[in-house]
Amino acid sequence: MTKSIVSIRNLHKSYGKVPVLNDFSLDVYPNEVVVVIGPSGTGKSTLLRCINYLTPFDSGEIHLDGQKIDPRKTNLNHVRQQIGMVFQDFNLFNHMSAFHNVAVGLVKVKRVNRGEARSRALDELERVGMLQYKDQYPAELSGGQKQRVAIARALAMNPKIMLFDEPTSALDPELIEEVLAVMKSLAAAGMTMVVVSHEMSFAREAADRIVFMDQGAIAEMGSPSELFANPHKERTRQFLSKLGYRENERKDESDG
Amino acid sequence: MSIFDDRAAEVLQSLPYLLQGLGVTISVTLLALLLGGLIGLMGALARVYGAAPLRAAAAAYSRTIRSLPLLVILFFLYFLGSDIYEMSVFTSMVLALGIHTSAYQEGIFRAGIQSIERGQSEAAAAIGMTPFQNFFTIVLPQALRRCIPYWGNEAAIVLKDSSLAYVLGLTELMRRGQYVISRTHQAFLTYLIIGLIYLILTLVLTRGLSYMEKRVKIPG
Ligand SMILES: Nc1ncnc2c1ncn2[C@@H]1O[C@H](COP(=O)(O)OP(=O)(O)OP(=O)(O)O)[C@@H](O)[C@H]1O
Ligand SMILES: [Mg+2]
Repeated sequence: MTKSIVSIRNLHKSYGKVPVLNDFSLDVYPNEVVVVIGPSGTGKSTLLRCINYLTPFDSGEIHLDGQKIDPRKTNLNHVRQQIGMVFQDFNLFNHMSAFHNVAVGLVKVKRVNRGEARSRALDELERVGMLQYKDQYPAELSGGQKQRVAIARALAMNPKIMLFDEPTSALDPELIEEVLAVMKSLAAAGMTMVVVSHEMSFAREAADRIVFMDQGAIAEMGSPSELFANPHKERTRQFLSKLGYRENERKDESDG
Repeated sequence: MSIFDDRAAEVLQSLPYLLQGLGVTISVTLLALLLGGLIGLMGALARVYGAAPLRAAAAAYSRTIRSLPLLVILFFLYFLGSDIYEMSVFTSMVLALGIHTSAYQEGIFRAGIQSIERGQSEAAAAIGMTPFQNFFTIVLPQALRRCIPYWGNEAAIVLKDSSLAYVLGLTELMRRGQYVISRTHQAFLTYLIIGLIYLILTLVLTRGLSYMEKRVKIPG
């Protein structure tokens, strides 16, 4: 069996008395795309934020590339460089052009020299189809363009794995596809990804595994074809049928 | 005695003498702004990012300073300073004004820092920036831009408050004005001129800052 890139072991996290992650375990393997779905408030964002230690958790372990992360000994800033993260609301640096958003991590964090940072940043912008917008500021970009820059910013750090937290749910419907296309091309290029998203087209096309998360734990997991065609649990079935409605609704809107 | 008696000319001739006070006024203002800016920024950092005791201490500092008249701070420092060693009036004034404005600048910087969406800091942390890099590359540059208009108001207040130094005999604008008045008995005209000088200084300051605000405005 191949070694996992990220191994999440027995994660527990609660806010006050409310448990959010309840003994959550998951291994993500090289080149794998894991899509996490599940009802609102079930701990999907919390899970991603625990993986790169943006949110501290109560107990459990995260292993990155075979190494156990010990927040007291491991330099977390170094860990985070290896884990790319894409947020729902982009979180671009508003005072920097698209180019600087991508280059700043190379210059400040990786301490790459300016010439190399420049060419690498431009490469990443090209990869997400944003090269021609390199001098625009975030306020001058559409949501889909912002998210593509945010993806380039994360990619510039050359991460071992990319985490996406509902990367298209803040977007107007007509802008979703351009972001999904970038994500699909990343997946096809072999990037290891954990994607929280309810975009079924992405899950069907790009996912190797679907994780259905409910109340802070994995309720059901399987390949897209298994899980969508033949969910074992009633909860999964209900949830998927609700998603189906949502997908139909959007089709209706764009037809009408 | 009217405004236009022959001593009026004498007032106008004293203009160069008055303007020599400008240097003191401007240095007191700039040094106090700088000192207040440094203390204010540290106070804001303590109140936004500090642990509970530090937050409480910084808040208590600001509240205390804000509740004291500038004159009280000035006298307090001056008499304390001259007890311990020969602190000059100039130094006392810079310290007093600097401490006084630090409490207000703290509030301005704190509001600026808190107005930057948390998500940007999270994104910076997520690419591996240290809290230090995060603050100086992401938060502060945006916070300072938003602070400029409010900071400009405070700077104008500090400029005018620097005139208080005349009570201790610092020969800045106001003090020199009083010498001119005692020689010419032309209080009205002298204060008119001094008023105009402050008006021009304030205009230069606020215009300069709003020019800067436009220069560093984020496109879009
Ligand atoms: N900072 C916080 N303080 C307190 N409670 C929180 C905090 N962040 C999240 N929670 C709670 O933890 C639970 C899980 O939140 P989380 O954001 O991980 O859910 P999610 O699955 O991502 O939901 P959604 O689909 O709405 O994004 C929710 O009940 C939420 O209210
Ligand atoms: Mg979420």
